[in-house]
Amino acid sequence: MTQLLNRFTYLERLVHWLVGVTFVILLLTGAAFSYPSLFWLTALVGGGAAARVLHPWIGVVFGVGIVFMLALWIRDMFLDDQDWRWLGAVRDYAAHRHDEVPPAGKYNAGQKVFFWAQGLLAIVFVATGVFLWMPDRFSSSLLSISRLLHYAAALGGGLLLIVHVYLGTVAYPGTARGMIDGKVTRRWAAMHHPRWDEDQSRL
Amino acid sequence: MSENLTIKRMSATPSAFIPLDALRSNAPVYSKLVDISRCIGCKGCEVACKEWNDLKVEPTANFGSYQSHQDLSSNTWLLMRFNEVEIDGNVQWLIKKDACLHCEEPGCLFACPAPGAIVQYTNGIVDFNQDNCIGCQYCVTGCPFDVPRFDSSTKKVSKCNMCIDRVDAGLEPACVKTCPTNAIAWGTKDDMLALADAKIETLRSRGYEQAAVYNPAGVGGTHMMYVVPYGDRLDDYQLPADPTASPAPMTGLRFLKRVGAYVFGLSIVGTLAHFLAFGQQTVDEER
Repeated sequence: MTQLLNRFTYLERLVHWLVGVTFVILLLTGAAFSYPSLFWLTALVGGGAAARVLHPWIGVVFGVGIVFMLALWIRDMFLDDQDWRWLGAVRDYAAHRHDEVPPAGKYNAGQKVFFWAQGLLAIVFVATGVFLWMPDRFSSSLLSISRLLHYAAALGGGLLLIVHVYLGTVAYPGTARGMIDGKVTRRWAAMHHPRWDEDQSRL
Repeated sequence: MSENLTIKRMSATPSAFIPLDALRSNAPVYSKLVDISRCIGCKGCEVACKEWNDLKVEPTANFGSYQSHQDLSSNTWLLMRFNEVEIDGNVQWLIKKDACLHCEEPGCLFACPAPGAIVQYTNGIVDFNQDNCIGCQYCVTGCPFDVPRFDSSTKKVSKCNMCIDRVDAGLEPACVKTCPTNAIAWGTKDDMLALADAKIETLRSRGYEQAAVYNPAGVGGTHMMYVVPYGDRLDDYQLPADPTASPAPMTGLRFLKRVGAYVFGLSIVGTLAHFLAFGQQTVDEER
């Protein structure tokens, strides 16, 4: 029988999907505000006026989710020496040359960088988002710059999301299950996160 | 629809930046011309505006000025601002008719993300269509003259529509009609520019050396122009000296959005290319 490891707790999965689902809705409604040809996407939340009202509130939920996410995972996300070597071998990782890649711990360096990048972008989203939410309290120049930064952050976050979903589902089968019922197989762990796998054996 | 109401630009559509007037160019282009030297401060225009547009009365209180209200609102589209300025030892009113200037290049329309919420007609009128407004207030940010006002109960933005229903019927706007001193003139933009020149000539001959027309180039000119006796005191009139419809961050945003669309599309193509090159890294569970 396939041996399973517990990778993510219920709370971790809940927070992940809270952030994930809100982020996708925010990305779609934000795309509607940014591209007239995508304005119809506002229909997903009940039309343009509803999208204008809901986007900031969904952003609040997203922001709260990110805070929980930081609290849950920040300890595991600092890069160690092995991680820097992993980043040096990122081309081998991308080309699936598995034996050339320095062994990763519970999170590989790519995941850690993803975590910090999304954390940083979240700060930009929330800070500029607050200004755009209540525009009558702030100056035009601040709001114009906020629109630019809010869009730039969304573009960055959107690109990261594409990579995140692609790697987690299509490129590396067995990964997504960790975020569904929280479990991964022993062999999956040995292949993708050998150092974490060893720690688990010692327990 | 009459010739007066041919659409030129519509917010959040390609026509926002590529105006449609190339298709039809015979429609008349109108402008108001506000000669501040002739204004006696009667506020008849404010009343006419409220009456014609059926706008709610807003109670006000004395705040130490002859001005009726402190600010524009979603129910007050026109406010005569009584700027008190001391010139050569005398107090003067450098009155500003504060209302939409109907820019030729409307910053509000450029900033608006809701298709058709802001429309510019070939006759020069910029009008808000509240049915399509989503209440984001980007137009307020985009307006270099701080004119549009948000109503927090209806979640819609409104402003002077140049009495578009009157103009469509061949009439002048209500404020023009009511002005007892003809301080507000109405006609084609060319005629109003010529009238402005004549007025400036007269003012200069009377000693107002700095008299000037306010028709700022940064917004492509406006369809409400002013003749200001003290053209060197635009600040005192609360008129921005160099307004722009496309501030640098907004130009940057337009560019970034265009680049972003390609980059985002390429990233999806990129994952497909990666998949075709390297496929899946499967885990052999049987081993």
